[in-house]
Amino acid sequence: MKRNLTQKIWIYTTLIIGMGLLALYSASFENVRVPHKIFFDQLICALGGMVIMYLFGRVDYRKFYDAAYIFYVLNILLLVWVLVSGRDALGARRWIDIAGVNFQPSELTKLSLILFLGRYFSNRRPTLSFDLLSKTQMLWRNLIWPFILTAGSMLLIFKQPDLGTSLLLLGIFIVMVFSAGLEYRYFLGFLGGFVAIAPFAWKVLKPYQKDRLLVFLNPNIDPLGAGYTIIQSKIAVGSGQIFGKGWLSGTQNQLNFLPERHTDFIFSVIGEEWGFVGALLLVYFYFALIKCGLDIADQVKDKFGTLVTIGIVSILTLQVIINIGMVMGVFPIVGLTLPFVSYGRSSFLIFIIMMGFLINLSKRRTIF
Amino acid sequence: MRNKIIRLVIFGLFAVITVELFYVQIISGRRYYHLSKHNRIRIVPLEGGRGRILDRNGKIMADNRPAYHVMVMPQDIEDIKMLFAFLSKVLNVEQKIMMRRYRQKKLTPFTPVVVAQNIERKKAMELEEHKYRFPGLMVQEGSKRFYPSHKNSAHVLGYVGRISQAKRERYQEYGYTPQMIVGHLGVEEYYDDHLRGDQGGVQIEVNSRGKQVRLLSLKDPTKGKDISLTIDSGIQSISQEILEERRGAIVIMDMANGEVLGLTSSPSYDPNDFVQRDNAKKLSVLFSNQEAPLLNRTIKGVFPPGSVFKVPVAVSALESKKINANTSFMCEGHHTLGGIRFGCTHVHRLQNLVESLAHSCNVYYYRAGLKLGADWIYKYARLLGLGRLTHIDLPYEKKGKLPHRRKRLLTARRWYTGDTLNFSIGQGDILTTPLQLVRMMAIVASEGTMVQPHVVKTIGKHIVKDHDFKRQIKISKDTFRTIKKGLRATVTDYSGTAHVLDLKEIYVAGKTGTAQSSRDKEHHAWFVGYAKGETKNVAFCVFLEHGGSSQNACVLARKLLLRMKEESLI
Repeated sequence: MKRNLTQKIWIYTTLIIGMGLLALYSASFENVRVPHKIFFDQLICALGGMVIMYLFGRVDYRKFYDAAYIFYVLNILLLVWVLVSGRDALGARRWIDIAGVNFQPSELTKLSLILFLGRYFSNRRPTLSFDLLSKTQMLWRNLIWPFILTAGSMLLIFKQPDLGTSLLLLGIFIVMVFSAGLEYRYFLGFLGGFVAIAPFAWKVLKPYQKDRLLVFLNPNIDPLGAGYTIIQSKIAVGSGQIFGKGWLSGTQNQLNFLPERHTDFIFSVIGEEWGFVGALLLVYFYFALIKCGLDIADQVKDKFGTLVTIGIVSILTLQVIINIGMVMGVFPIVGLTLPFVSYGRSSFLIFIIMMGFLINLSKRRTIF
Repeated sequence: MRNKIIRLVIFGLFAVITVELFYVQIISGRRYYHLSKHNRIRIVPLEGGRGRILDRNGKIMADNRPAYHVMVMPQDIEDIKMLFAFLSKVLNVEQKIMMRRYRQKKLTPFTPVVVAQNIERKKAMELEEHKYRFPGLMVQEGSKRFYPSHKNSAHVLGYVGRISQAKRERYQEYGYTPQMIVGHLGVEEYYDDHLRGDQGGVQIEVNSRGKQVRLLSLKDPTKGKDISLTIDSGIQSISQEILEERRGAIVIMDMANGEVLGLTSSPSYDPNDFVQRDNAKKLSVLFSNQEAPLLNRTIKGVFPPGSVFKVPVAVSALESKKINANTSFMCEGHHTLGGIRFGCTHVHRLQNLVESLAHSCNVYYYRAGLKLGADWIYKYARLLGLGRLTHIDLPYEKKGKLPHRRKRLLTARRWYTGDTLNFSIGQGDILTTPLQLVRMMAIVASEGTMVQPHVVKTIGKHIVKDHDFKRQIKISKDTFRTIKKGLRATVTDYSGTAHVLDLKEIYVAGKTGTAQSSRDKEHHAWFVGYAKGETKNVAFCVFLEHGGSSQNACVLARKLLLRMKEESLI
């Protein structure tokens, strides 16, 4: 059983990466706008990623317990640095150069936030504190403080501006706070609070972000801009029908119809060329991988391990669901990648490291 | 328990995605397949129309004119050779060039490719007549920018053109797209956000012959806002005429509120050249021209101010109480420092402050500068706005250079007393723009009120109030009054350097400047001053790059003022 889970994670990750590479090959095949070089780039990234995954699988995850806070603080400093010295003065500031390599600290935040919240909540046992703390104190300790700390990095990422990742962090927080055992009424109250402030949050958004949300509600508002992408990607996925048009022969894809098809919209290539069967297969692989994570969460005995697993599972689920939903027009275009499949080093690497954690967790659980 | 709930939610989400996939790919798959096969959806962009630019009297300075573009729809073409043979015959462009352009631009079979832009109306009609013979050929009506004032005001207005790569990357998140027409330089660039309309478009479904079957969606384009300037186009054409093709600049500013009435840099260029396509040769001449016609000398050209800088030196001398209005120095025609002769234009004999300004006596300022020291001069020159941006609402303004003695300590070249002497007469490292000097003169003339120079009055119906503030400079009025006596004497005094400007009709005062540039070239000629007209009081500057003696600038200033008076513009 123990070996089984480890092996399963390896198998499903490899399968997903493999499918992603094939799709990327097709997306950049004989194409002017997307250079073929990115396929080889991703291939090297995948091979290197496997090694990294193996290495992380061998490092005891509890070592990261000690480093979690420092790691989070460093990450926040990196985010501040991006804002201050970003590569660009007026456009989006998401990248920094470390020793000549571009890196997106916002991707790193996904991991560091999970570790941070994992440690924070595993230190506290809300259900066992009896009457030692007042209700207010409890609320501060179990909800408000961690939320303020999460909101810090969310705000920095929102300023970049990257609404998608920022909301994703909120998603992680909600799932983890729930998993940590916050009383239901507070939890529901917290969610209700968000619904209540949503209209005010609208004002903070940049015009193009508002556009995207509006267009999601009605793609015909902006047939030239974001609406165009939604319509065309829907056509691409839908036209795949049952068996697809075949690898390298998707017309929507090959005819340069989709602007971001190698990154955020890679799923449309899979849907078009491999049809329902291919798309469903990929969705199944993700599902199986996530299920492995859930099984691990059930079996890990220490709280930090459980929380980190739940965090990883939730982020994986959220990104897969939101990305695929976005390609099919169910979600607004928020610019989240499809894990392991979309082109992009930072994102790829972070998910690989997360899988390394899962492997490690699946191995260690019997020690306790 | 909690994790069970999470597990259930995740299962639920995956079920929803699977159902959605099933719905999109299997149930509506046929329809989408059909749509993708013949991609019948077409997007026809509708231009929003750029706002116009008007001068202060409502005269149009930048307008939109109808233009015709030729487009080809790749999937509808029946015989590509025939089509391009016909096009090349009508448009007088070689068939090969056109075919190549078409292939480069072709994106998808159902996106129209623009093969020729801004063709003549006559040719557009001819193409339209024969359209039925060549399926896939389209003539689209659009608009193009037109600048009726041509060379006059080119530097204020700027021009429009395709967005540059660097800019597009920077502004991508703000809705700028490739192929977009944006403003470059001048008001067109600075106020691009306001002038630019929002592009709209229609999405239509067409049949196999390319005829519209139904309208899928429509986004109305919005027109950009009209902008009216403080610039007077009458003054602009006079300035341009007076400068002819000589290198130089003329700036005229209303002293009361900082409205810039005239801003002319010469030699100029015709912004219409940038609008016209296939004009690369003409443009490359513009870009490589030794005389730099694209450079806006009024705000981007930095030059040594020469004797004009005696005004801030005199201000600092009086303010620092090192000398007073009656302090006199003896001019022997030169000043000797460390065995080096620092010369003067004449032997002026005994000079007081007012006389020294009127005669532009160098020796007086050498002596005053030595008493003062460079730091005092720096302080007051900076207060008067030199070495600082004026923050006029035009892009790429330069702030020039005001040398600082202590900053020199960081560099290899120390500050010698000789540097102070040069500094006192506006030579050496000091560089200013004509606009900075005009603002300085406005401060002096209004006895210490600093205004904000600006060129835009209203945007749409909204009056721009951002530039309305005034600031009082911390320099006493008495100082300014003494200086003004000197500036007036420059004009009225029989031996004053700008005596040609002693006009019956207009009250003029100011300071001349002849600045050395480099050894083998002519000097720069300056006249910076203020005039009291019937309707407004203006500060102005006439500058000739390598124009020889300041006398040349004075003569031009005389012509300028008289012409303006004649046409009752001031």
